[in-house]
Amino acid sequence: MIFPILVRLALRNLRRYLRRTVLTASAMMVGGAFLVWSMTIDRGSHEQWVDSGVRLGSGHVTVERPEYRLRRRIEDRLTADVSRAAERALASPEIAPHVVATSAKLDVNGLASSAAGARPAQIVGVDPVAEADFGALDDEVIEGRYLEPGDRLGAYVGVDLARSLELDIGSRFVVQAQDAQGEISGQLLRVVGIFRSRVPAIDQGTIHILRETAGEWLGSGGDVTNVAILLEGSSATAEVASRMERALSEPVARGEARVLGWREANPVLADAIAIDEFGNYVIQGFLFVIIAFGIVNTVLMSVLHRQREFGVLRAQGLTPGQTGTLVLIEGLTLSAVSGLVGVGLGLLGTWYFFGDGLDASVFMQGMDELTVSGAAIDPIIVPIFGVRLIVQIVVFILAIGALASVYPALRAARVDVTEAMKFDR
Amino acid sequence: MTTSDTPAARTEGVWKIFQQEAESVQAVRGVSLTIERGEFTALAGPSGSGKTTLLNLIGGLTRPTRGQVWVAGHEVSSMSSQQVARLRLREVGFVFQAYNLLPVLTALENAEFPMLLQGVDVAERHARVRELFQRTGMEGLEDRRPGKLSGGQQQRVAVLRAVASRPALVLADEPTANLDSATSEALLDVMAELNRDLGVTFVFATHDGRVMERCRRLVRMVDGAVGEDERRT
Repeated sequence: MIFPILVRLALRNLRRYLRRTVLTASAMMVGGAFLVWSMTIDRGSHEQWVDSGVRLGSGHVTVERPEYRLRRRIEDRLTADVSRAAERALASPEIAPHVVATSAKLDVNGLASSAAGARPAQIVGVDPVAEADFGALDDEVIEGRYLEPGDRLGAYVGVDLARSLELDIGSRFVVQAQDAQGEISGQLLRVVGIFRSRVPAIDQGTIHILRETAGEWLGSGGDVTNVAILLEGSSATAEVASRMERALSEPVARGEARVLGWREANPVLADAIAIDEFGNYVIQGFLFVIIAFGIVNTVLMSVLHRQREFGVLRAQGLTPGQTGTLVLIEGLTLSAVSGLVGVGLGLLGTWYFFGDGLDASVFMQGMDELTVSGAAIDPIIVPIFGVRLIVQIVVFILAIGALASVYPALRAARVDVTEAMKFDR
Repeated sequence: MTTSDTPAARTEGVWKIFQQEAESVQAVRGVSLTIERGEFTALAGPSGSGKTTLLNLIGGLTRPTRGQVWVAGHEVSSMSSQQVARLRLREVGFVFQAYNLLPVLTALENAEFPMLLQGVDVAERHARVRELFQRTGMEGLEDRRPGKLSGGQQQRVAVLRAVASRPALVLADEPTANLDSATSEALLDVMAELNRDLGVTFVFATHDGRVMERCRRLVRMVDGAVGEDERRT
């Protein structure tokens, strides 16, 4: 077996040019550490974007009628059969472990009016206990409190809507919307709480009421327009969506329901993440192109300085392929060792310095709130570590090392033995 | 076919023409030569006479423009690079003017390197190499890297590397050119002894009179062709 011999030679050659090896390895280590830091922070940041976005209503996975998203009308609600089938699926052992919270809502567009005027509003009928686990609005109270079971006429109103309708805690106002019979129907409500989400569209037009109240008002009984499912993390979205779709295959086939992942339910957020990821990949790509040139330089210089040596190896009986493999092993070993050390340092450093979160508020000076696709983002970004991510980084570093070593390896493999022996070095 | 009767090397009407810009240089012109096993032969001649090119042709380091080359009965000219490399590994040892030891290996590792590539087991490798170190007065230097050896010692290690794997022939290109007289004589003693005692076939490309004196066959090259082929008893 010639491979162990080549590995031994490669290791000794790396040790032979120790200073050059260490300098290149240092660049790779810094690159690997940066990649870990940047990707875990990115992952944490994007997960936070997704979490903030899905908590606004649609969840990681949502079940609704196909037409509902376009029109948001009461006749586009789920039938009781579909809701029950969704509940059964959510309780199944394949799906339940992934689910953190669910929220079945009756969510329609309507008009809110008071003595001060009228404003369009999104009126959301919720189960306040489930919504407290699911959403984030219940934590954004600035006056009064969130809804409680038994608040039959209670309304939880966005701050800007409350201001424009001149509503305070205890104020009465009326909401109107099309009911299940197609008639315009009104409902008197009383403000129990006012919230500020810091997302203008929500603060200007969202009202939470009890789902039972909404059902009675709109004549839809216990029906809901959508069932939103919050998962332990966005990575389980595809699996849960697929299982839900299988469980609801009949109503889906009849056109009575569809299952959406958060990317389909919130394409603007998905696009924002894709654009941000692309930007990050470009920066990381540039960094690694520079590092790759460093490796090419180190390995190629080493090859050019060792022409005679390659001639000797070939004269001793090494084939061109084996000679190239020797150089490839050198480049790969350099990349692998330094890359792994870099990844290790990156993990350690990111966990030690940023394990509790990176405070990005310094980059938000002059801004009240950072929002992405209508969702307010917490400026504290907690990195997310994952085996798959680390494996991806290591594979990426090895690929860079391999690519950077190909040209020097070809140069070594193509050495002309008689010319190399004349090489005076 | 490879037997002990097969010549160590043979060339038949071998030409080597190098293209240098518009000019073509005939480095070797129609050389037919047979090197029998156990020979101690010098290819002699002034610079540019084609002796090193002929040595490279025999060793498969370069391919003939015309003609054929056999090494231990194997026709080299039609072989692929991989096949030539394997043939070199089994049948040819090289000694170069500039020693050309691998700097990252110790003297012992350098000497055993071809055997390592051949897959000879460690016990046999070490036994053969240590015996050669002892025979050539190199005992105790096995663990030194080339940088810690004198020129003469490095060239001895190069000779041991060339002979240790028991090839059909050893090709030595100006092996004494970088050595002083005493060291050259000592090295030639070593090679003569290996030739006499172990039957190692040596072919030298040289213009060193001391080497020519010690060889039992002297092939004089003139302008790429064999001018004179003298055998001595």
